[in-house]
Amino acid sequence: MKPVPLVLLITSVLLTTHVPLSTCRPRDLNLINNQLDDVLLNRAGDDAMSYLLLYLQRNLGAQKAADVLHLPHFSTPQLRSDNSLEELTEFSKRNDDPPISIDLTFHLLRNMIEMARIENQREQAELNRKYLDEVGK
Amino acid sequence: MSGTSRAQLCFLLLSVTALRGHARFLDIQDNEISPEGLLSLLSSELKRELPEEFVYRRALRCLDMVAIEGQFTFTAERPQLNCAVFFIGEPSDIISIEYDSVNIDCRGGDFIKVFDGWVMKGEKFPSTQDHPLPLYKRYSDYCETGVTRPIVRSSQNVAMLFFRLHQSGSSFTVTFRKLINPFPCNVVSQTPEGSFTMIIPQQHRNCSFSIIYPVEIQIGELSLGQHNDLKRSILGCAGSGDFVELLGGNGMDTSKMYPMADLCYSFNGPAQMKVGCDNTVIRMVSSGKFVNRVSFQYRLLGHQELQQMKGNSVEDVCLRA
Repeated sequence: MKPVPLVLLITSVLLTTHVPLSTCRPRDLNLINNQLDDVLLNRAGDDAMSYLLLYLQRNLGAQKAADVLHLPHFSTPQLRSDNSLEELTEFSKRNDDPPISIDLTFHLLRNMIEMARIENQREQAELNRKYLDEVGK
Repeated sequence: MSGTSRAQLCFLLLSVTALRGHARFLDIQDNEISPEGLLSLLSSELKRELPEEFVYRRALRCLDMVAIEGQFTFTAERPQLNCAVFFIGEPSDIISIEYDSVNIDCRGGDFIKVFDGWVMKGEKFPSTQDHPLPLYKRYSDYCETGVTRPIVRSSQNVAMLFFRLHQSGSSFTVTFRKLINPFPCNVVSQTPEGSFTMIIPQQHRNCSFSIIYPVEIQIGELSLGQHNDLKRSILGCAGSGDFVELLGGNGMDTSKMYPMADLCYSFNGPAQMKVGCDNTVIRMVSSGKFVNRVSFQYRLLGHQELQQMKGNSVEDVCLRA
């Protein structure tokens, strides 16, 4: 191919391809460990202003947050702070939950692992056979 | 089509794929490119989602162990009040559990909880000293957070599901996936024989490799810190921020096990030890200042070897030689 048409082709390809930023976001917001942050972020959405309000409210309290931003004090931030309080009470309830356990001997556990491994290997062999059948066609 | 123009066309196709970002969907595992992978170059389908007919499905039992990816359904034919499912992957996997469809009565006392680790006879692996999260954060209750956060990820290659269903007819379906963990820390070995290299890259954490068998361990290489500090005291590893210890015990909790040996100097060349306990653990403590690495192999101790160790030993605490 001649150089000029090649350059034109590459230029047109570069101009038409475009990766939207939304595809590079993590698959789910569950990567954030702190549940309270998670709840707040989900409710804030993409609105930077409301997120700032929530951040200030969480750290300074609802009244002070409104004062800092020179906003009239209206009812919706109050509602959000009540929900945060609910989250905190749920945290304390979960702390009181007795940890559950199961009584198994090591012998039984080893046998179960062995059976699970055999199942895994058998299915992996099946899957490999299916892949080879596909490729062989 | 001539050779050169064909090569140029292939190059063009690859460039377009890369520029559009679809190359991230190519998932090459174990050096095999599946036909699905090849076809997905031209479509936006996520390679990680296997086609419907290739997903493994089976029913879950009240007490179960799962080592294979797939979709598992539990249906209660009668009230089941104490059920547990263990999940285990390869040492370099982490576990992902996703709730697909859940039909339980939360208000009636039913629950489904995912635990980040394993619990046996009240003992947890990894122990609270070795796990990055506090204990209450390791439990994930479906009734509280399952609808908003349907995917739960573990921090190591083991996880558990506890559930209680009061009414017959209640059911739930979960999808179990294994994801890659580049620096595994806290591993339960699936086999009594194998080898592993544990690397802690400048992190302040403790990592345990648990082998739930009596084994002989052979440590091939230990690299702690960047230089050997010969002026360090020889009074054991107390005070050293980076060391490896060998533990033995009869439970899952590494903090309740007996130290069999500890190593605080880098060395090359095999050092072996037999540990006749039900659970043998190699634990690495890292200060975070260095990249620490330990390579080891292990093999099951035969019945005769165990008898010999019992004959030689006076102590009641798990046998060592």
